[in-house]
Amino acid sequence: MNCQRIIRLLSAYQDGELDAARAREVESHVCGCAACRAEWDGLRELDRRLRRLPPPGADPFFATRVMAGLRPFPAGKWRLLQAVVHALVFVLIFAGGFVVQTALNGRSAARPATDSTFSAVLLEPFDLGLLAVHDDTMRLFAPERP
Amino acid sequence: MDEARLTDDEVVASVLDGRTRDFEILVRRYSGKIIHFIERMTADSDESRSIAQDVFFKIYQNLSYYRAQNNFSAFIFKVARNMTLNWLHRQKRTVFFSRLLGRELARPPLEQEPPRISPQERDERERALTLGLRRLPEEQRLALVLKVYLEFSYKQIGEVTGWSVPKIETLISRAKARLKKFILLQESGGEPVLQARDK
Repeated sequence: MNCQRIIRLLSAYQDGELDAARAREVESHVCGCAACRAEWDGLRELDRRLRRLPPPGADPFFATRVMAGLRPFPAGKWRLLQAVVHALVFVLIFAGGFVVQTALNGRSAARPATDSTFSAVLLEPFDLGLLAVHDDTMRLFAPERP
Repeated sequence: MDEARLTDDEVVASVLDGRTRDFEILVRRYSGKIIHFIERMTADSDESRSIAQDVFFKIYQNLSYYRAQNNFSAFIFKVARNMTLNWLHRQKRTVFFSRLLGRELARPPLEQEPPRISPQERDERERALTLGLRRLPEEQRLALVLKVYLEFSYKQIGEVTGWSVPKIETLISRAKARLKKFILLQESGGEPVLQARDK
């Protein structure tokens, strides 16, 4: 068995994840190979250091804070209503953006035609899904090119 | 009622039956591990408590989706993992946009010194290790933290992350190799290279 393969197995061996046969192979190789033993010693030292990092201090009021902050279960129909409202908001935002853009294009007939496109932006914090934002707006945030 | 004898599934059933105070049993059972997990992932002790609190709120709100005998531990750690990764991604975006708008945050979370939880943590080695952990790629860090600090088996890590055992084996092995290299670099005074690269 070559050293490269053994070194790949060492981590799983350390974690107790090798079957008995492979574990024995690793052990017999490491006993007779100085380079692999050095690798093994390095892994053991790393493991010792990792486990020496102190765990977070106990917070005796954590459970109390969580319990105080719980809201009642949303009933099934409220969940459905919530989903419908989110879908409606999304449709309204998209349609609104489209209408505004169409109106603006109509007014500025003198302006040369541009590629009017919308980019989708994820409204993650509000859990609302996607928001259509016109690319002119997006350009405000794009880094300037030299 | 003897809390210790109740299984997670029994507690969940009890909460869903209307005894909402029983949710506290689950909070007490898992909060230590969840906070430890999040703190190792984020290297931020204050935020880890806040995220852990949100994890329990989310678990409570979605308890009806939990299927009994489906392994509650995997269920809660999946939520914790997702919320932690979301937080980490938000931090990255915050730093990105603050740079884009030409102003640096006063203390960008990802660029902070590791928090000092106790006076003992002034130890330089621990600082280097915390920094090294934080610089691991997310997937490697996640697998290593679940293995080392929560003592999950590769199979349990697979249940939380959805990854195959060979993938987990590779991720953990690479994480350890990378950390070892990082510590060696730190101790041999190679940090300036890494600092320069980070800038």
